Amino acid sequence: MIPNTPRLLTAAQQFVHLRHNATCAGEGLLHAGGLIWHFSMRPTPLSRNYRVRLEYHQGLVPRVFVEDPDLVLLADGRSIPHVYSQKPTRLCLYFPRAFEWQGWMRLDETIVPWIALWLFYFEEWLVSDDWKGGGEHPEVGVRRRPFGRRE
Amino acid sequence: MLLDHAGFDRKARIVTILDEMMGGLEISPSQRELAQQRYEAVGRWLASSGVLMLRDLYIYLQGSTALGTTVKPIGHNEHDVDLVAHRPSYEAVEPAVLKRAIGDRLRENGNYAPLLEEMPRCWRLVYANEFHMDITPAIPNAQCSNGGELVPDRALRRWKTSNPKGYKREFERRAALKPQFRLNKSLQFDAKRADKNVEPYPVATGFKGVLRRMVQIGKRHRDIHFVDLDPCLAPISVIITTLAAWSYEYCVAAKVYESELDLACEVVRYMPAFIEERSVDGRRQWFIWNDTTAGENFAEKWNKHPERAEAFFSWHQRLMADLDALNEVEGMDRLNKGLRDAFGAAPVDRVFGRINEEVATARRSGLLGLAPAAGLSVAATSVPVRANTFFGATPR
Repeated sequence: MIPNTPRLLTAAQQFVHLRHNATCAGEGLLHAGGLIWHFSMRPTPLSRNYRVRLEYHQGLVPRVFVEDPDLVLLADGRSIPHVYSQKPTRLCLYFPRAFEWQGWMRLDETIVPWIALWLFYFEEWLVSDDWKGGGEHPEVGVRRRPFGRRE
Repeated sequence: MLLDHAGFDRKARIVTILDEMMGGLEISPSQRELAQQRYEAVGRWLASSGVLMLRDLYIYLQGSTALGTTVKPIGHNEHDVDLVAHRPSYEAVEPAVLKRAIGDRLRENGNYAPLLEEMPRCWRLVYANEFHMDITPAIPNAQCSNGGELVPDRALRRWKTSNPKGYKREFERRAALKPQFRLNKSLQFDAKRADKNVEPYPVATGFKGVLRRMVQIGKRHRDIHFVDLDPCLAPISVIITTLAAWSYEYCVAAKVYESELDLACEVVRYMPAFIEERSVDGRRQWFIWNDTTAGENFAEKWNKHPERAEAFFSWHQRLMADLDALNEVEGMDRLNKGLRDAFGAAPVDRVFGRINEEVATARRSGLLGLAPAAGLSVAATSVPVRANTFFGATPR
């Protein structure tokens, strides 16, 4: 039997979910086929408060940027792991080829918790220099690659 | 601990981390039990000697093991277990003579002889990598109405006043005082002690009262602060314990606190207020009197070595600043660094390692969620964190 494929969520539906989920309380903008959501989050009460921007255009992948504090400054010369770009800091939250995120999934219930987890491991990485959150780096394809300081 | 905490109060969580750190530095329950078995056997051996001088002699715990405030010493593996060998007779005896009789008797035993080391005022039995037991001779003090005793002075020439049992009693009375909190939400230190009475021998409890943890925090901070300095400068444990206990009693009665961390900061802040300072012949003199017997000044050495008093005050400033900084810090990385600087890497790494393990386990088993305000959580009300693989370009 072929399972029912869930329906894709529209940007407007995603926007409503984001607005009603207290874990990502913030404000945003809905535009034709897409949205921008700004919110603050503290992954644990002991963590910093991070200001995050989530951009999504229907049919494309969600893009997540940490706007404040400046993670590059916090990294103090080291290259931040699991990002698409260092500055602006755009987070890599899931493995696209494994379809861990798809258009029918709610951003507030997938991307948002992954951001919290990413930030938790980021603060841990700041201390240990070892990314303990697991994951893949496409050019090497190995787990938990240790990251040295940038020359 | 990080995840199943119902509240979202950061101060309560910092307290939980400190609590766990100090718990990890204590003598373990099994070591404690072993120490008890061993010192009871030593006591039986000494009492059964047939030597008149040692008749009815009995051994009991004093110091941090008796109070439940042990902190693993830095640089060697053994905890200190301090014991009193009390000879109950009022018959006069020289300190050196009683000490020698105890040493002779211990040496007669093939088990003890190879472990025995002589110290200025006591005998030490060294159980390598476990603990060492310091056995100090004592006799009753007829002048003390509070059940005090006499112990040898450092030169072993005279008896001086002391009162280990009375001190323990008073410490326990103060430790049992309940602080008041405004929201009654952060009671980690006290959680399991709510209706515990005084134990004859400190039993292993998961959590300790605020005062015991305060003493351990002070002692550990001292050990780290003085690690590269002249060890003689470090304030002795009984000074930290006494000042913390008096300050705690004062603070608990004086105020209602927002959190245990605020209470801890305040207790530390008031510690020096309980040092009596006088000018004697134009020189500053310090007194921290044992309030359970007459004539024992814990700060006696400061008056011969004023640099030790200076060292106490500068250490105290640092402890206060470090605790205040913890109260303000943002970010688990900064918290980690602050704790490491103040208390050394080992206890911090152990607790943070466990926190990481907790998150990893919850994530693997699909129990990890995200809750408003509390953040990452295993609470049933949280949004589950779906399995994911962090991806991204290889950093260069």
